[in-house]
Amino acid sequence: MHEERQSPRRVVITGLGVVTSIGIGVTEFLAGLRAGRSGVKPITSFDTTGFAHSNGAEIDEFDPADWLERAEPEELGRASQFSAAAARMAVADAGMSLDEVRARRALVSVGTTDAESRDLDNLIGVQVEQGPERLDPVVARRSTAGRLSSSIVRELGLTDVEAVTIPTACAAGNYAIGYGFDAIRDGDVDVSLCGGADAVCRKTFTGFYRLGTIAPEVCQPFERDRKGILTGEGAGILVMESLDSALARGARIYAEVLGYGLNCDANHPVAPDRDSLARCIELAHRNAGVKPEDVDFISAHGTGTKANDVTESGAIRQVFDTPPPTISIKGMLGHTMGAASALASAACALAIKEGFIPPTINHVETDPECGVDCVPNVAREAQLEVVQNNALAFAGNNAVLILGRYRDAV
Amino acid sequence: MTATTPVDRTGRLVFSAWSAVSPYGIGGDAFAAGVVAGRDATTELDQETYPGPYPRAGLVPEFTAAGALGRKGTRTMDRVTAIAVSAVGQLIDDCGPELLAEPDRVGLVLGTGSGSVQSIMDFTKDSLTGAKPYHVDPALFPNTVMNRAAGQSAIWHGIKGPNTTIAGGALTGLLALSYAMRLYRGGHCDRALLGAAEEYSVQRAWLEWHGRTGDGVAPSLGEGGAVFLLEPKSDAETAGRTALAAVLATRFRAFGETVDARKAVGDCVRAALAQAGVSAADVRLVAPAGGEFETAEDAGVADALDGGTPEFVRCGQLFGDTSAAGASFQLAAVLAKGGGGIALVTGVDRDGTVGCAVLELAG
Repeated sequence: MHEERQSPRRVVITGLGVVTSIGIGVTEFLAGLRAGRSGVKPITSFDTTGFAHSNGAEIDEFDPADWLERAEPEELGRASQFSAAAARMAVADAGMSLDEVRARRALVSVGTTDAESRDLDNLIGVQVEQGPERLDPVVARRSTAGRLSSSIVRELGLTDVEAVTIPTACAAGNYAIGYGFDAIRDGDVDVSLCGGADAVCRKTFTGFYRLGTIAPEVCQPFERDRKGILTGEGAGILVMESLDSALARGARIYAEVLGYGLNCDANHPVAPDRDSLARCIELAHRNAGVKPEDVDFISAHGTGTKANDVTESGAIRQVFDTPPPTISIKGMLGHTMGAASALASAACALAIKEGFIPPTINHVETDPECGVDCVPNVAREAQLEVVQNNALAFAGNNAVLILGRYRDAV
Repeated sequence: MTATTPVDRTGRLVFSAWSAVSPYGIGGDAFAAGVVAGRDATTELDQETYPGPYPRAGLVPEFTAAGALGRKGTRTMDRVTAIAVSAVGQLIDDCGPELLAEPDRVGLVLGTGSGSVQSIMDFTKDSLTGAKPYHVDPALFPNTVMNRAAGQSAIWHGIKGPNTTIAGGALTGLLALSYAMRLYRGGHCDRALLGAAEEYSVQRAWLEWHGRTGDGVAPSLGEGGAVFLLEPKSDAETAGRTALAAVLATRFRAFGETVDARKAVGDCVRAALAQAGVSAADVRLVAPAGGEFETAEDAGVADALDGGTPEFVRCGQLFGDTSAAGASFQLAAVLAKGGGGIALVTGVDRDGTVGCAVLELAG
């Protein structure tokens, strides 16, 4: 089955679809990243009575009917609406017609933390009030994790496609993108639609609140006095194809995917592990064929919790003699869970294409224990060659993705 | 991992060990005996423990986390996690310590429906009904995150390679297999443990009941997990393991309308057989998913096999619909049957996706 392959093929990103609290669509998202816009405001999607504080980064102005042409919005949970809308945007952004994308063998992979837990929250609410006999069949049917990827297939009318949801929690976006990269690289498929999606839900807000990790007002990654995360939502979907394919159709190339690394701490259910993360970064560098000194900036997991930011910057300093600028877009977007590293990947691709480093907002004073240049508050113009995107998840699941500027001779 | 000569990663990958925690009991032998005998493993549900719409289910007999894994570390472990940890543990015990000699080069790929919907919805219920909305048990929070079973299996057994959770309804086990193969070919691991796990719970039963689309009698639900070791044939031989089956191909397709499901299955199977380089007449054994798309699935398989008359093994009828674990049990069933020749495992999901795997069973 491998004879016809000319592997490994180079893989490039040619389309971006984003649904975020700082803007829907690439143009608005890019403007938001450059301006250091914040999507944070009081949560309205569930009743927050009884919580002392309840800010989050929800998307207010998203109407699925504006974006979905084939899928029925009410048959999709909110996370699937996000993913299907982002996929449609990404294909359009890639300059690929529906006929073109349907004619190609495709992989769809969508990372998530909670999938349709928003629906599960609402179902249990009904169950508590009225009993389990009264659950809405449409909502029950749409509440499975597989829907986040199959809804993209349905919306785009794909038939020659492998669709998979990757619920590897808060690192899932990078897992999904890495999978699409491997499938293109090995010549298994001709286009990959990959990223992540999640919707704000009571369950996850409550869990983090109970752990004492929800910030009272704002998320401040790498800040001396940081107070935690804010839960956010959205989706980011990337169109990836082989370099030959992109060149043949004259596509705009945002960036090249150079490689990625995955590993598992196999240590603690929720606490990150510095040494293991450092090994994952080294793995990603080796797979991508880059050295630490090649990396021009790091898009950190940077959740804004005490533990994450100090552990993550420690791992970075373990690998880098002099760490490059290390930023987190979670100050702007909150923690969008399974979408987080997909949206960060989209931000990295835009940063490479447009020549700037997105800022870490809400910043006053850098924690000396972190000791990184987090590009405080204001975006920085920069010519970028290689960019690193970190993601960490519960259960010690690490994923590090390396993107590079596309050059015609490597 | 520091080998100076690049490893050729394009060769055949084989299943060289597998384990199951199933309604037939703990272990692959119990599963194989049950499937080969065609024994019905569903039982009457005790309606006090499992109130709900289903009178029967295929439960793993007398299974509890503490019973299977001991008291230490299982106080807050939910059922699906315990099933996964046990199934992975069975495989490791069968293979011996060599399996994890290089723990960072072993991948773990585990399928799930939506994690434990019981754990997720109980957690939200506590938030909704407690005196304060944050009166929830923080130790239970990780159970509500869908990578819990895969992550806890890695923690329990010390598996440090890529740790990935896969979801795709009835196709989950096939998607996990496809993912694991790419993980190996991409150089991210040197061997992979892959499979899926699903628990029976009152909450899952209600969601499945309301979510079912067929208008006939709802089939019973089942639970359990199956895990496989995937590695290059030569590595299996070096380690003294017998290749049980070579994985020749996986393939997936989708259909927009139900009426197109049959064609999608036929196209998918034909493409997979072509990819595998085997002819339809060579298919000796078929393990379909069954369930609500059984008619279309059988018709599509028959279309693709073009007059062939393979033997069929139908797991769902034996121990209930195990949802996300279903396709992994189908794979286990063809390994249990064995006997050489080409085996085909197929699936159709109600979300409009189909998939299949082509295996060459050891003679």
